[in-house]
Amino acid sequence: MRHPTEGVLRRLLDEPAGVSTTDRAHVTDCSQCLQLVADARRDATAVGVVLATGGSEQVDLAAAWQRLSSATAATPTAVPVAVPRSARWRPALQRPAVAALAFAVVLTGAGTAAANDWLPIFRTEQVAPLSITTADLVALPDLSAYGDLGLGAEPQVRSVPDAARAEELTGLDVPEVDQLPSGVTGEPIHQVIGELSATFTFSAERAAAAAAASGEALPPPPAGLDGGSVRLDAGPGAAQIWTSSSGAPALIVGRAAAPTAFSSGVPFEQVRDYLLSLPGLPDDVAAQLRTFTADGSVLPLPVPADQVRTSTAEVDGTSATVLETRNGALAAVLWVDEGVVTAVAGSLDVDEVLAVARGLG
Amino acid sequence: MELVQHGRTAPGAAPSVPKTVGASTAWEERRVPLRRTTPVAARPDLEQVFRRDYPLVVGVAARVLGSRDAAEDVAQDVFLSFSRSAVPADEARGWLSVAAAHTALNALRSGRRRAVREETAATAEDAVVSDVADTVVALEERRRVRAALARLPHKQAVALVLRHSGLSYAEVAAALDLSPGSVGTTVRRAESTLRKELIRHASSD
Repeated sequence: MRHPTEGVLRRLLDEPAGVSTTDRAHVTDCSQCLQLVADARRDATAVGVVLATGGSEQVDLAAAWQRLSSATAATPTAVPVAVPRSARWRPALQRPAVAALAFAVVLTGAGTAAANDWLPIFRTEQVAPLSITTADLVALPDLSAYGDLGLGAEPQVRSVPDAARAEELTGLDVPEVDQLPSGVTGEPIHQVIGELSATFTFSAERAAAAAAASGEALPPPPAGLDGGSVRLDAGPGAAQIWTSSSGAPALIVGRAAAPTAFSSGVPFEQVRDYLLSLPGLPDDVAAQLRTFTADGSVLPLPVPADQVRTSTAEVDGTSATVLETRNGALAAVLWVDEGVVTAVAGSLDVDEVLAVARGLG
Repeated sequence: MELVQHGRTAPGAAPSVPKTVGASTAWEERRVPLRRTTPVAARPDLEQVFRRDYPLVVGVAARVLGSRDAAEDVAQDVFLSFSRSAVPADEARGWLSVAAAHTALNALRSGRRRAVREETAATAEDAVVSDVADTVVALEERRRVRAALARLPHKQAVALVLRHSGLSYAEVAAALDLSPGSVGTTVRRAESTLRKELIRHASSD
């Protein structure tokens, strides 16, 4: 007679009602299965003892809720961020691990946007972990509260069969990982995203409304600023994604053309300095942003300081920015070299992402 | 003033991608004025879900990390992510549990929690184990099991922790995209591996 599987026998311990009558009847009369059930019970009990939490669930719910409320309230509404309406985010977010990893990757995307000679102006302190797609490697800020933001094309991330095709489509050298970190195996998925472009036209009227909404008056814009435009280009980009055994991304290596900015009529720095003066931007952040130059030597990042630690490291002679979530679960490193930004992120530690970064061929 | 990540594709250096002109409807809908001072529009059911599931989430993380403080840190991160997600409320329990397990396992794997974990575990252990020698043995046993837990295939480890945190087989199956029939097998394998680790340790004493 067929014996039930070990999995069925294991379930018998916890949820006998979930096991079929036939299997239950079999086990009752089968000494071999009874022995396996006994083994399973012994193992389960032993593991249960060492995994016991000693009453960890006895939490101070009120204090915990207060803490969470403070964290969410302190977070600026970066939430209207990219993608909520897109079909691509829902499946991603239904996987919790992805949500966690997305944090690092969205940071990477934001870093891309902020990289090089553009937009030191717009820095958030928080980034919402909303999506984990290659599109985030090529990202631009929403300035719509302060003017008109026109975008060039539909977002489209394409999967391609291999690195050669990704290179062909993007014109980038797709980096080759020489040695995968421990726990990451198999072949990556290759994705590409094309170039994107956005034009921001400053609107004094819109900015005044935004200022009023935050309860303050808009400082008078400098002459010529109203109606002045800057154009921002970013991409194309390519990403290689390795998934873990659970299906969640374990390592992402992305490369994209770094953003560039063009202005029409009004100097870019003037737009930046004026926007810096608008209500709502904390003084310390504004002061920091003013130090950013337009020569691409600084890589400002929208880093949520309460969740992420930043540091610097060297990757092949280039200064790189290292991000690490406070809980140590995720790390990312990114750097800009000759107009190309490269990022390595994953559910890894800093040493591992740096090892991957330094080993890229 | 807010910064929003936004991905867009235009052909650019990708000549074979057909160009689409004009902003998408989805984008237009997103163009709402933003204010820095606006609090996060957390999902309306957040507090209800939090009060219902926070102890569970802490418990899941604590089983992995062995430290309540570390587990609460993980739980806070998990709920922060959840607050911004569109996970349906009826899937929240599974989502939160898996997120907690993954995050805690990653932290465990990184080894950064080790110091605080052992320190806190030692404190907790003192309350229940009177004999100092027993305490030392128990701590060592837990350390070894957690090291083994970190080495398990991720899905096995998560299934194990979820099951021992009280999720039903159906809930574990749904949360991990497993067939209900394979949950028992997955948990069994994990327990067998960990038990061997315990025996190996005991026999080496």
